[in-house]
Amino acid sequence: MGRSYIVEDDVEGYLSKLCSQLAGPVTGLLIGQSTVQRDFVVMTTRTPQNDESADGGKSVDKEWVSEHARQVSRMLPGGLSVLGVFIISESDAKDTLTTLRQLVFSVENLISSERLWTPADDDVTDCVTLHVNPKTRKTVCRTFDVKDPKSVAKPADWKYQSGVCSSWTTVSCCLSVDLMVPLPENMAFTRNMDDCLKEELKVWAQQIERGVCLIDGKKLPEDSELKAGQKKNVRQTISAQLLITPDVQTAADVVQRCGGCVSVRGAIHSRAFLHSNKPKAKLAEKLLKRDIVSTVATRVQMLLEEPQKQNEENKGRKQTEQSCLPRRVFCPVKSTGPLSVCDYQFSDEGLSEMTDRFKEMLDMDAAEEDLDATREIIAEVIESEATEEEEPAEENEMLDPWRNNYIGVAMATAVALLALAASIVYLSDV
Amino acid sequence: MVLADSESAVILRLRGPLDLKCQLDRIDEVPMQKAISRTFEALRLQVKSESCVLAVCNSPVLIWPNKSVFEEITPDAPFEDIFQFIQTDDQETSGKKSTKKKNRKGVSASIINLSLMMEATKPGPASAPILTRTVQKSHLLCATLPMDCAVWSNGSDTIKDGCERLMKALTRQLFEMEKVTLQCMKGTTLRVPEPLHFLLPEPNGLVTVVFPRGVPDKELEAQRRELHGQFELPDNRPFFRRANAYHFPNEPYKDGYLRNPHTVLTHPTLDNGKVYLVQGIYSYHHYMQDRMDDNGWGCAYRSLQTICSWFQQQGYVERGVPSHKEIQQALVEVGDKQVSFVGSRQWIGSIEVQAVLNHLLGVTSKIMFVSQGSELASKGRELANHFMTEGTPVMIGGGVLAHTILGVAWSETTGEIRYLILDPHYTGAEDLQVITEKGWCGWKGPDFWDQTAYYNLCLPQRPRVI
Repeated sequence: MGRSYIVEDDVEGYLSKLCSQLAGPVTGLLIGQSTVQRDFVVMTTRTPQNDESADGGKSVDKEWVSEHARQVSRMLPGGLSVLGVFIISESDAKDTLTTLRQLVFSVENLISSERLWTPADDDVTDCVTLHVNPKTRKTVCRTFDVKDPKSVAKPADWKYQSGVCSSWTTVSCCLSVDLMVPLPENMAFTRNMDDCLKEELKVWAQQIERGVCLIDGKKLPEDSELKAGQKKNVRQTISAQLLITPDVQTAADVVQRCGGCVSVRGAIHSRAFLHSNKPKAKLAEKLLKRDIVSTVATRVQMLLEEPQKQNEENKGRKQTEQSCLPRRVFCPVKSTGPLSVCDYQFSDEGLSEMTDRFKEMLDMDAAEEDLDATREIIAEVIESEATEEEEPAEENEMLDPWRNNYIGVAMATAVALLALAASIVYLSDV
Repeated sequence: MVLADSESAVILRLRGPLDLKCQLDRIDEVPMQKAISRTFEALRLQVKSESCVLAVCNSPVLIWPNKSVFEEITPDAPFEDIFQFIQTDDQETSGKKSTKKKNRKGVSASIINLSLMMEATKPGPASAPILTRTVQKSHLLCATLPMDCAVWSNGSDTIKDGCERLMKALTRQLFEMEKVTLQCMKGTTLRVPEPLHFLLPEPNGLVTVVFPRGVPDKELEAQRRELHGQFELPDNRPFFRRANAYHFPNEPYKDGYLRNPHTVLTHPTLDNGKVYLVQGIYSYHHYMQDRMDDNGWGCAYRSLQTICSWFQQQGYVERGVPSHKEIQQALVEVGDKQVSFVGSRQWIGSIEVQAVLNHLLGVTSKIMFVSQGSELASKGRELANHFMTEGTPVMIGGGVLAHTILGVAWSETTGEIRYLILDPHYTGAEDLQVITEKGWCGWKGPDFWDQTAYYNLCLPQRPRVI
């Protein structure tokens, strides 16, 4: 009994368009949710053009497709993931299947190499492949088990349906993050920081996975269903809470030498989607926790991938640098319906850069007004140069990261009013 | 802290780890102390914040004590109500049985365990995280504070009041931990402060003291002396050694030995008589334990083991209970036996018991000799005095048997006497019911002794230390 994919109607239209438009093989990604009970595909996106490719994009470039998948995977909130790959090509079915198999394994390997959360036993490990013949419009759907390197293609059903994007329950929360990790004494500045941070993130990820998840203020038994899933076509959102306890430190030496430290402090907005048909509390908890871990790990990764300023050797002076992690911005998948994708905005980027990226990565035509940038605020950061080791009045935690635009405006207004009041007093003083 | 006297006394115990983490720019004493104090202050603010959550273990009950949010229960309900929600292993999930445990004396020793947690989620919008990197040769202090607060509560106290007291105890504990950490700081060596609970005699009750982890008892005598003064306790017996820590009713001993099996017995009532018992905790050692087949020859060794277990559990010694071989080796070392004694199945008597207690534990003992068993009936006063002043188990050897005496019931006027005997000849499993019902631990009359044989008793003396 093979898998059965229920696919949003729009996907059919999109694939048709690609068939008629382009020459040469076209690849892309299939995005949705696969659980033990059901498989849903909610959207697709073609692989972007590779301007630097040797043959002008005539052949399928496995690395390019995988890299695209990796970046798209970062743009999917909890519950949504890259389920597989499609290819539109007139080639022989057998050759195409081999290509698809290679792509699907490569994509899965690259995406899972970035993951910090541990896969669960009840995760679905089947990935879907779709072969569309542009002339005959015939579609062939097969799945591969990516856990098994020797797996063979299994037939699967591919059914179009309307409204696949509408009946989803959203679980979300806003979570504080507070990590502090020491840097080793002898440092190659950037490289060691990367490793230390990644190790600490792994520990933090386990803390999150162990955390107690509350839905509507209660800890629900694992098999219970979320009540919100009952009504059809009504936007269902559930807020969750997470209670954590710190890891117990077992190091013998409580005080250790270090070459400095890295901290990540702030908060993030986390979101996960479950299909509304009998959504289980256990699944909601699993998907939300994974999103929490992914969103923080992705942002740290993105920051570390930014070109680093070359710092001179530390001459015994204290050097402090602060960088903002990018903030999360959401974009709805369809104008109605709860599903959204997301991207990350650095402080020096504008919303137009977001819409460009949604177009490039996900082939989505979004306008700036459609974007939801209200969930997270970018904190302002003070650029500090290397300081002498004076007697500090307070520790470096005193740098205030919480100022935001609103306070700035309020201050300016207050000053203006004071000035006005002062001038009135002055003028009326006879 | 007053011990609640009523039938419905409940212990509320709150435990949970708190991260103690701070960067130390300088490790000179004063800046380091300031940095540590600041970190403790931040922790005190954290437990006073709205993210602090108390979770009742094995139940769905959750409490946010600093914003008065109570999940599954109401704040004005009595604390006893929480028992309905707690699920123990031997209970159907739909059952609503109470988990109170009563011992024979009818005093409940109920306990409610709570976990300290922090809520990581909060209302939005979120201020996106900032990554701060500081490059500087420095030190990082990283430890976990094992918070552990216990308060007695009258079962009819409201949940709100009980939580307030727990939170006060938590803040107080952080202050004490800060004090101990700073006091025990030597250069960059820091000791993690560790709370221990002690059940003191009335009117003090359950008291929590913070000690630096890893520092042995012998280095903490000054602190103990201060505590003895503070709680007006006699200064010739220990109350605050680590072994004296209170054993909560729901924490079973993991070594498998029975503790104080005599407490479930009904003690005899004699005309004008009083019962004088061993004071404190001992383990029952007997034949065939520890995979040692000493059936027929090891009874005195087992009685000695019971006595050693008493000294260990009252905190007088740190060494564990010695094996048969170790006992024999000790006798060789004091010159009492030849080397060939080790590994043999030779009996020992009260003189050997006295010698081993002295050599391995540094404990002195008095020897009492009776020329015939019938004379034991007249030793009521001596034995009563022994249990009152020393309170240690007594080894008695004579005829071909050795036993342990755990107490006497004696009437000064009639001279009637009974002996509470712990029999090391038992070969079965650690089954309290069998042991007490079949008399392996039980009250015996004067005819228990061989009336014509002579007996030696070894009465270990309690060291006068704290």
